Amino acid sequence: MHEVINDPIDVMVSFTENKVIPKLFKWNKRNYKIETINLVHTKMEGKKKIFYFSVSDLTNYFKLKLDTDCLEWHLIELYTDG
Amino acid sequence: MHIDMNAYFASVEQQANPFLRNKPIGIIGKNEKRSVISAASYQAKQLGVKTAMSTWQAKNICPSIILYPGDPDKYKYVMNKFNNIFSEFTDKIEIFSIDESFLDITDTAEDYFGAIFLAQTIRERLKEELGDYITASIGISSNKLMSKLSSEKVKPNGITVTRPKNIKKVLFSSELEDLCGLGKNTKHKLNEMGIYNFEQLSKTPLWTLKKEFKSKGLWLYNSSNGIKNDADIEPENNSEQKSISNTNTMQIDTLDEKILKQNLSKLSEKTAYKLRSINATSKTLVLKIRFDDFSNFTHQITLNKGTNDGIIIFKNTWNMLSKKINNSKKIRQIGISAKSLLTGQCQQSIFKKDRKNESALNALDSLQKKYGKNTWKRALINSTQLSTVSSGFYHK
Repeated sequence: MHEVINDPIDVMVSFTENKVIPKLFKWNKRNYKIETINLVHTKMEGKKKIFYFSVSDLTNYFKLKLDTDCLEWHLIELYTDG
Repeated sequence: MHIDMNAYFASVEQQANPFLRNKPIGIIGKNEKRSVISAASYQAKQLGVKTAMSTWQAKNICPSIILYPGDPDKYKYVMNKFNNIFSEFTDKIEIFSIDESFLDITDTAEDYFGAIFLAQTIRERLKEELGDYITASIGISSNKLMSKLSSEKVKPNGITVTRPKNIKKVLFSSELEDLCGLGKNTKHKLNEMGIYNFEQLSKTPLWTLKKEFKSKGLWLYNSSNGIKNDADIEPENNSEQKSISNTNTMQIDTLDEKILKQNLSKLSEKTAYKLRSINATSKTLVLKIRFDDFSNFTHQITLNKGTNDGIIIFKNTWNMLSKKINNSKKIRQIGISAKSLLTGQCQQSIFKKDRKNESALNALDSLQKKYGKNTWKRALINSTQLSTVSSGFYHK
């Protein structure tokens, strides 16, 4: 099932080889451990650069948004198999 | 070398979302029920789903298909990324479409063995940078036309080389419409001349083809004989643009004037922007309406002078559309075609108001080029929303 969401989330990241890598995030009082980062892409919204991380855990796909202007993270899409 | 990304939009989604992999998926627009399949995964294609099929047709053929909304920004970003990878190997790159590019590797590869090695290296780089699911078919030959035809034959994820001595063999095993630039009309005309394959076409004298097809006759003759053309590909695409068309299927079938105005205004602006971007004006506007029973209505108007202003296009097409609103049938789809295109700017108006309008449109075009298509819109397109505040409601 595919859901479009736009909820602010707390994200734990690592900084490796000059890259920001999301490792874990908290949404709806639950922690989700990111198993794989499948694709990263960017988009300009006016002067703001937005990063999108397409990530997954063992059962869900998530699309996370990082606004580099205000350094806020949002969960914007969720896909659960079945 | 021609590089064609396989089932591009669907592959990008399957790369991003591992739960879509190895499944029949169709990439669609925002509205699932009234959209068409803009790209299908190979698994969906195997089950008979084709590009441009309506979603209900796709569901009928393949009930297990997963319809997934497309993300144009993502596809554009990945396109830039793979073209950057190509630029590591040559600076002579021609982006043919969002998922296809031509690379001139004559200097880099030196020979066909070098070209194959280069193709394999490119595939490894694609895998490294984009992941396992975004793959490409690569065709190598002595000209663009043949390299494109070759890559089409090794889908998905293959590499093929067509050396000059094998060009005729590859052509003769292909259908006429397989060749890029040989469209339905040309095929139909060739069939009328009794030509049904490349073997027959290659034996047709040049003067006969020139007589029937004028300048395109030489292109057909050269292509079917494996001779490099000056305009290697797309003689049809390169020809002067004759019209600009935009169509929109509405979220619901409607007779609501406000919704129709909003949709028509959006289409008018889109058409006007396209006209301005090729420095053209149009004198003939065609309105196409499809009703809820799938019957169609087409009407056209010829203007006194050419225009590329969205508001003029809107006013004229609305005049035609408003006459159809009293009809008992609801409207499902509307489309605008701008014909009788005149290239070159409109003659500058003597009225100050018009000149101000023109300079405002130029400024808005610059903004749109820089920040994307939704940078500005006419107030007419905005719907009124009432939002609650502590003291009551206010307009948004």
